[in-house]
Order: sequence, then structure tokens, then C-alpha cells
Amino acid sequence: MDGDSKRDSSSASRCRTWSGLPLQQIYRPGDIADVDYERDIGDAGEYPYTRGIHPDMYRGQFWTHREICGYGGPGDTNGRAKFLLAHGNTGLNIIFDQPHMMGIDPDHPRAKGFVGMMGVNAASLRDFEVLFDGIAIEQINMSLINPTASAIVTTAFYVALAENRGVDVAKLKGSIQNDPLHCRYFGYAPSSPFDLAVKSCVDIIEYCCRNMPRWYVATFNSHGWRETGITAPQEIAFCFARVLAYLREALRRGLNIDHFGPRIGFYSSVHMDFFEEIAKLRAARRLWARIAKEQLGAQDPRTMQFRFGIHTVANCLTPQQPLINIARVAIQSLAAVLAGVQSLQACPYDEPICLPTEQSHRIALRTQQIVAHETGVTKVSDPLGGGYYLEALTDQMEREIVKIMDEIEAMGGMVAAMKSGWVETQMEKAAVEEQRRIETKEQIIVGLNEYITEDEAERQIPIHRRPEGSEEGQVASVQRVRAERDAERVTVALAALTEAQRRGENVLPLLVEAAKAYATIGELMGALRLGMGLSYDPMPEVVGAGGC
Amino acid sequence: MADDKIKILIAKLGLDGHDRGAKVVSSYLRNAGMEVVYLGMYQTPESVVAAAQQEDVDVVGLSCHCNEHLTEVPKIQDLMRQRGMNDVLLVVGGVMPLPDVDALHARGVEGVFRVGVPLEEIVGFIRRRAAARRGVGVPT
Repeated sequence: MDGDSKRDSSSASRCRTWSGLPLQQIYRPGDIADVDYERDIGDAGEYPYTRGIHPDMYRGQFWTHREICGYGGPGDTNGRAKFLLAHGNTGLNIIFDQPHMMGIDPDHPRAKGFVGMMGVNAASLRDFEVLFDGIAIEQINMSLINPTASAIVTTAFYVALAENRGVDVAKLKGSIQNDPLHCRYFGYAPSSPFDLAVKSCVDIIEYCCRNMPRWYVATFNSHGWRETGITAPQEIAFCFARVLAYLREALRRGLNIDHFGPRIGFYSSVHMDFFEEIAKLRAARRLWARIAKEQLGAQDPRTMQFRFGIHTVANCLTPQQPLINIARVAIQSLAAVLAGVQSLQACPYDEPICLPTEQSHRIALRTQQIVAHETGVTKVSDPLGGGYYLEALTDQMEREIVKIMDEIEAMGGMVAAMKSGWVETQMEKAAVEEQRRIETKEQIIVGLNEYITEDEAERQIPIHRRPEGSEEGQVASVQRVRAERDAERVTVALAALTEAQRRGENVLPLLVEAAKAYATIGELMGALRLGMGLSYDPMPEVVGAGGC
Repeated sequence: MADDKIKILIAKLGLDGHDRGAKVVSSYLRNAGMEVVYLGMYQTPESVVAAAQQEDVDVVGLSCHCNEHLTEVPKIQDLMRQRGMNDVLLVVGGVMPLPDVDALHARGVEGVFRVGVPLEEIVGFIRRRAAARRGVGVPT
């Protein structure tokens, strides 16, 4: 590095957060003189929950250690899930592959090459039986990651599995991500047309709220869009605006906000700007409390609580000198905990390179465990609260978030903002701007644009790939399921689904029955799509698919 | 080519929806004076090569974030060879471990740009190679 031992204190990178919020050189009591503790901050566990949703926070219970797993066939993921549980995951976090999220079977022509690549493939109830074989679903806190409209099928498979095992679904603990609008930008738009997205989301909310009181009806995902490069205030504003779109529909259906409000969760992120991320999450808690109470009419304090999991932002990590990602994730994890997170996915260091190896997965868990057991930050709720900088930044962040939400509201809400292309434009602008900062070295990423080391050791790190033959295995398996089941029963079930969807009924009960008949995800989503006047196939070059 | 702009097609294959890199690179290449045909997602080797031929591009750029590079790049190379597109440059970007970069190099794909490469390097590489292929001087 050139010898600029005296840093240029005026350059933009010194004076703003990475999201562009202007910063003072130092903060003083006067900067938070207008803050009223009772009104604006409150103790942890007290409205507006700025300091946390539980009075005792981590003295009562640590956040759930929830390393994500999912790859290959259900047997592969079953093995890794058990490994993670043995090493300290206190809940499971299963991610499904792209064909599952797209709502197509593994033998769909467009699934080729992608089965089990970025998640576990599960085409029918049969796969869920294998996936959770030897896992006590009545005891495990189970996060199912499927944000798309096919989350309704994922839920049906899980409920069907539970019922077949004689497990009372009212006892199931966990969550389904269920945020179809959010996933329209990661290549899943075909899976989640707007009307189907909102209907599926609210069907799940309604069904779970009636039948599964310990289950989270959704974990609305602000993390996914953050990976596109949008800023911290944009992340929260876009997420809240999207959630309002779903909840307004739920209220329109006559659901009582407090019946499902306590079972809403969020899935947020932490980036690298340490204080900005903590301020972001504190602001989100305060703002959500106010939105729930003042806009949605919530009376139950649990509806007003911004309960969130965190997925550390993967785009902060570099494939170059990958071991240094362990330091990054440790810092991100610490920020998440200081922000009062309820559940944490800390990215393994090889996230920008390949699927996690056992070693990288274990190190990620150990990182969480070090924060939990060694740092001492868990002994006090909201330990950074009251700091002049943090409280001023929390306020600034909240103002910024509200400004963006107002902008979206003026456009007619999030669905309108998405349909007009405005959201996509913001994402692209933010990504291009961040790249500009990196190219000009206004923003330094260690190992990437500075402190570059040709590290031969990088070639030695273990690489995990999708197991050989797992795609072929899943293709064979789904074809076997179709051949061996009662075809008549499936045909009748699918026709009933299409009809129920056409009449606007909640389709989850019928989905559960069809799942028990071993209908496949492609068939189930196809039936639902037909009921909404959509093409059977989300990727409709395949004519006459499914045979039903 | 009617003008001197280097023409590049950018595509993503199959169900790979991680398009932030493809969009940022496209924007950068446009600003660098290239003509970008953004084919987008859900492409197959056949659709990419057909579009590349139809658009008469100088460069085909693949963005691969789901390990698809190992199976799909060879297919694209074969199709391009079959159609006599030997003067079209193939570049690959995205997420992959170093051994895979080596494997692509071994298959004759010289331009492999993982996440983190300065975009100016991509522009420079394309300018040098595309210019050489078209037998013109490297633009300053």
C-alpha cells in the first residue's frame, strides 16, 4: 500500500456509513438530547422494543444457532443436518434447491444440472420422509427455507409428514420462509406471479395461524434483497413495504392481526459496517412496533415485536484469501448479537467458493459459540444502548427508512413499485455504485482491491460439491414415486386443488391430502397455477407436462 | 460489424438467478464503449449460441454462480465450434473454486473472471482479444 500514514479524513469513505449516511467525527449528549427514553427507547421487552424484544435477552436464552444446510438428495442433507445438530446447531435450517423453489420436478427439462445444487431436492412427500428420517420433528425447531409461492407445497409436505408420523401439528415449532414477492428477483419470478404469490402467502398465514400455533407463518426476508447491493435503510424499507402488501391482504380476508402477528418473523442481514448494522436493526425494531400498533391495529405486544433471524451478508466475503472470511463472519456475528438477534446463520468461510464443507460449517458454528460463551456480550441486554453514536445513528436510520417507505407508498405500495421496475432499478443503481467505490478504492475490501496476496494455499482448501449421482438419483426417485402411487387418487386430488384455487379457497388442507397421495411438487404447483388461469408449467416450453 | 464497437452477449444458464454480477459487468462494459446484448436468465447452451450467432457478437459472456460452468461451458464450446464460430471469444465469470478456473483454462477458456476481479481487467482482456480477432488495432 502507498505510504499514506495520514489518512485523508475528508474523503467520503471516512465520513459516511457504507449506506451513505453522513457521520460526525464524534457524538455527544447534545446529539441525542431530543430522545425520550420511555417514548423512543424503552427497556428491552418494552414497547417500542428498540433495545430488544425480551427483557432478559440472552440471559434467558441464546439465539438459535441455525447453520443452513441443503444439497444433493434428501439423504445427503439428512446426514449433514445430523452433523450440524451434533456440533451445536440448536435448530435446523433446511434450504431447498432451485427446482423445488421453482415448483418443478427434478426430471423437468429445465431442472437439469440444478437438482440439489443450491439446496436439497425434494419432489414429494417421499423425499421429506428421507430428509427427516431419524430426526424428531416434534422436538426440533425447524426452519424451512422456501420463499417462493411453492412454499405452500413445502408446508404441505411437512404437515403431511407430521400427520403420517402421528405428530400433533399444533406442537410443531419452526418456520416457513413464505415471502414469494421477495424472490421475484433471484430468477424465481416464473414461480411467483404476483397474484399467486400473495394468495399462497396468505393461505399459509391463515392455515398456520389456525392449526399451528407454535409455527412461524412467515419469516419475511430482508436479507435476500440486501445481497443485490441495496443499502441498509433500503433493506428494511423495502421489506416492510412488502410485508404491508401481504398483511393488508390478510386483513382484507378478515384475519385478526393479533392471531398471526405473534407468529411473524423476519430474516434479516448483517453487512460489514458494524455500527450501521446494529443501528439498522434497532431502528427496525422500533419502527415495526409503531407500524404494527398504529397502522395495523395490533394490540398484542408480540405482534409489535420485530423477531428476527440473521443471515450474514455473503457478498461481503471474498473468494480470494478465503480464510480471512472467518474474521469477517465473526465481526458480523458479533454485530448480530449486539443487535439482539433471535437466530443466526453465520456464513461458512467458503461461501463465495462452493457448498460448505463439514470443516467450514463447523467453524461457522464455533464462531457463534465463541460469541455466545466467551465474549461476555450476552450478559446484558442491548449492551451498546445509550451510546451517543448508536442512538443518534438509530434515529437517523429510522428517518431514512421512513422516507423510503413513504416514497413507495406514494407509488401505490410495494407491488406497484415492483411492477413499474422501480425496485429493480434501485438494486442495479446500488450495485453499480458499490462497484464504483470498489474500483476507485474509495471502499477497501481486504484481499480484493488491496492487500492482495497470491495465495497458493487457496488451492488447498477443501471443496464440497454436490454428491455424484444425486441428480440422477432424484430423477429416478420421482419417476418411481409416480409409477408406484395410486394414480386415480392423485388425479382426483389435483382436480380438486385446481377447483378450490379457482374458487379462491385456502388450498392448504387439500394440498396436504394430495401430498399424502404422493403428488409431486410440479403437479401440485401446476394444479394451483391452472386454478389461477396461469400456465401449468412455470417455464412453459414443456407442453403436456405431468400427465394430469 | 458496422461500427467499431465490440459487441458482447451476456447470459445466465438454467435456473441460475444470481444476476447482480452480470448486471454490474454489463453496465461497466457499456460505459467502456461496448455494445452489450443482455440475454438474461434461463438460457440453454443452444439458445446462447443461437443468439450469439444471430447477433453476430464478438464475445459471449457467461455468468455462472451455481457450478453450472463445469458441464455447460464445454457444451457451449462444442456448439460454437460446430457452427464455425471460432473467432468468437468466450469469457466466463462468477463463483467457482480455483481448480475449476484451472480446468476452464485447460479447456481453452482464457478469460475466467471470478468475483473480485477489477472490472477494468475484464475490459482490457476483452479489448485485447476481440481486437486481435477482428484484426484491428487495440483501441486506446
